[in-house]
Amino acid sequence: MNVEVENINQTENEQLDTCETVLEVKDLVVHYELEDETVEAVNGISFSLKRGQTIGLVGETGAGKTTTALSILNLLPDPPGVIKNGEIIVCGHKMLELKPQELEKIRGKEISMIFQDPMTALNPVMTVGEQIAESIRLHEGLSRKEAFERAQEMLELVGIPGERAIDYPHQFSGGMKQRVVIAIALACNPYVLLADEPTTALDVTIQAQVLDMINDLKNRLGTALVMITHDLGVVAEICDLVAVMYAGRIVEYGTLEDVFVHTRHPYTEGLFNSLPNISDKNSELKPIPGLMPDPTKLPPGCAFAPRCQYATEACRAAQPTPTYFNDTHYVLCTRYNEPDFRLLTRGI
Amino acid sequence: MKKPETAVTKKKKKPRSRAGETWHRLKKNKGAMIGLAIIIILVLIALYTSIFWDYNTMIVKVNIPERVQPPSRAHPFGTDDMGRDVLIRTLYGTKYSLIIGFGATAIGLIIGVLLGAVAGYFGGFLEDVIMRATDIFASIPAILMGMVIVCVLGTSLPNLLIAVGITAVPAFTRITRSMVLTIRNQEYIEAAKCIGTPNLKIIITEVIPNSLSPIIVVASSRIGSCTIQAAGLSFLGFGVPAPAPEWGAMISLSRNYIRTAPWMTLFPSLFIIIMVLAFNILGDGLRDALDPKLRR
Amino acid sequence: MSDVMLEVRNLKKYFKTIRGTVHAVDDVSFTVERGKTLGIVGESGCGKSTVGRCLLRLLEPTSGEIRFEGIDICGARGSELKKLRKDMQMIFQDPYSSLNPRKTIRDIIAAPLLENKIIPNATKKDIDARVLELMETVGLAERLFNSYPHELDGGRRQRVGIARALAVEPKFIVCDEPVSALDVSIQAQILNLLKKLQRDRGLTFIFITHNLSVVHYFSDDIIVMYLGQIVEKAPAQELFENPMHPYTKALLSAILVPEIGKRKERIRLTGEVTSPIDPPDRCRFEKRCHYACDLCNKGTPQLIEVRPNHFVACHRVQKDCNTITAGG
Repeated sequence: MNVEVENINQTENEQLDTCETVLEVKDLVVHYELEDETVEAVNGISFSLKRGQTIGLVGETGAGKTTTALSILNLLPDPPGVIKNGEIIVCGHKMLELKPQELEKIRGKEISMIFQDPMTALNPVMTVGEQIAESIRLHEGLSRKEAFERAQEMLELVGIPGERAIDYPHQFSGGMKQRVVIAIALACNPYVLLADEPTTALDVTIQAQVLDMINDLKNRLGTALVMITHDLGVVAEICDLVAVMYAGRIVEYGTLEDVFVHTRHPYTEGLFNSLPNISDKNSELKPIPGLMPDPTKLPPGCAFAPRCQYATEACRAAQPTPTYFNDTHYVLCTRYNEPDFRLLTRGI
Repeated sequence: MKKPETAVTKKKKKPRSRAGETWHRLKKNKGAMIGLAIIIILVLIALYTSIFWDYNTMIVKVNIPERVQPPSRAHPFGTDDMGRDVLIRTLYGTKYSLIIGFGATAIGLIIGVLLGAVAGYFGGFLEDVIMRATDIFASIPAILMGMVIVCVLGTSLPNLLIAVGITAVPAFTRITRSMVLTIRNQEYIEAAKCIGTPNLKIIITEVIPNSLSPIIVVASSRIGSCTIQAAGLSFLGFGVPAPAPEWGAMISLSRNYIRTAPWMTLFPSLFIIIMVLAFNILGDGLRDALDPKLRR
Repeated sequence: MSDVMLEVRNLKKYFKTIRGTVHAVDDVSFTVERGKTLGIVGESGCGKSTVGRCLLRLLEPTSGEIRFEGIDICGARGSELKKLRKDMQMIFQDPYSSLNPRKTIRDIIAAPLLENKIIPNATKKDIDARVLELMETVGLAERLFNSYPHELDGGRRQRVGIARALAVEPKFIVCDEPVSALDVSIQAQILNLLKKLQRDRGLTFIFITHNLSVVHYFSDDIIVMYLGQIVEKAPAQELFENPMHPYTKALLSAILVPEIGKRKERIRLTGEVTSPIDPPDRCRFEKRCHYACDLCNKGTPQLIEVRPNHFVACHRVQKDCNTITAGG
């Protein structure tokens, strides 16, 4: 088993060598144009991923995380989704400029995605083995028999006995279905895996197992991972880089240590303070007051200002520009133009 | 592809109720609007003719000298074998088809929805009894059922209404029951029980209003099929008694003249087709407008 | 002497299916004191939601006793049941399906007032005033009075559900995963609201959830359920500091803490899950338990107090504790 995995890596090493930065997103702007109004879902996102890195896109509902992921694969429902600006480069391929046939070759082979709900992601009338094999046959041109054998190997890789390749999705539990979905996504050994809340729908104990498995596979196959989640615990578990999203922008970006230990943005601080603290039962939760702004009516200044305890007139007047703390860590917060500004409860 | 959820539900400039939203979506469907326009015109024709036209002099008065005349300026649709103007009779006949179409559907709806709601909500033995009875009923050909009922009750407009109405019940029972099966597991039904609302009140105020969408769609297409059924029964002689200018009856009376004087059967048939098409297209449009998943 | 508001004894709820009898809730007993919160935690299929619904008679228990303020409510019918419903209410999980989409917020909150005649001889103005009061209590803006559920986000909808539950002025509220479907910052807002309501109105809560950190924050005592049975029962802090049942330990080890450098040794649960259909009379966790021994097939383990106020249903833990107490 391990020998075969290494073989895969070896044959593709030549390609991989030319592809150090597997994913680049530059100034992505995405709107949903509805009949009465326009939803400004993503407003200028940029990040890049190297081979084997994991970035967590953290944010709440409506922050624009799923929209970003769909845009990377150029899978936005169009209408009403429109990519107004930006470049997306997967291993040298400019995703937004490619024709549908070319895109099909890349999706599944060089970049793939797993979604939140394993219950609806699998075709109920095909065996799981066939579903994994389908992807392999499409991209690697193997015969039916060979593809099925590879499918069984993938199942073993995700911790399911290979004999079960002939079973149907309904014969598996939720956690196992999600593993099958992961097997399908990784079948062709893509450079990048997009995972949209892959463990949210699972039980606690299964969640930890599936995350461990994703992490393990990722390390073995050298896959880069974009982990979309709202759960800071998940981020702490497997991410190297963190991008905190709010109202379609990355408001804080850095390594895991940058964001978790040296937290800078008030929104990130608010997220941490909203979580119950297991070690101190009696500490009060300090939720962020108010709600995320209406994406059809975003304010002219900082989108978080209406809810921010540190906001000033300058914050409301104009969009914040990035403030860098080191090579990797930046925030979008106007208050950091002042030299002495610090958060009250974190990053000290 | 599911559109990702946005944080705050879009607030339109003027907040619309759900009925307003539906109407707004329906307006965009040109076919549905044409269908609606046709129906409105037909309703106006029916109202006008019943109020202002004299039944005895205009509709049924026999006029032998002018029998079987092809369409001309005096008689745009020609005359029938009794010398009566086909255009005038056809226009007057609109009212019968509309009455039966709406009336029979209404009967089917009221009975069917109640039965379906009770079956779906309470389940168990009651559901089995109601649904099996519905199945048996639905397996009898509708025309046959209609004939039997009219035979028993006698030919008249109200009896025709009942006959066609009863055959419309199974469709409503089934659609209501399947909606109720979904709704009864929704948490707001549990919440209603939690605050002590009695079951019948829950069915009427919480369950049925939320099942309306598919019921409306079924109703609008049922109107078309009820019309055809009534025409069929009248054609066979089980409908509105002669000399009433019900479209099916008119076709029946003219069947001997199909080859020689086709206008006698053509125009009533055309009107049946137009009316049924109009209701079907409207029904399709309503279904699309009521479907929240199609919201963009 | 503590003031017991709710006492549940030997509650069972079985469902008959084609494949056999599903033991959804199997011999569950616990008490809740006035003004306190009992957390019920477990993964999907453990029966916690079923317990909640049985307490409110939304499901009929198969057997067992539920005593609310001393009176057995299992036998209550008709107007007696309706009176009880005024004292016990529920807050539901899904903010999207717990509100009737065709009713305005005003009607949704007014319904329990009208149904139970909370305000005698009420006019429409009286009802409206009370609805506005309730809306203010839960933090809903006045302008939402005539809105429909689909115009509100999840957090606001959940507040409507809370206002609805409070309308009848209950003493006891069962919260069935009230914040699981909400964003993190909204979760915190709702949890704070619930805590404040408990303080101001002296409410007693049962808090059902699968989220361990939330249950720890919100509860005074916690019950851990597995496949229809209680496997451990303890005060919240005690449970987290000294988990004794192997399943509880596995659950706690699976919590993902949002701090770096805290990666724990995960207890991996492998092995078959016992089916809830006609389960055998032995420990149901045995097949996945890393702690299993030959005692495990000696009948279903009973809840025994192994530390002060800390109950565990595990043969091996009980034996170990007895050996310790016997030996020292």
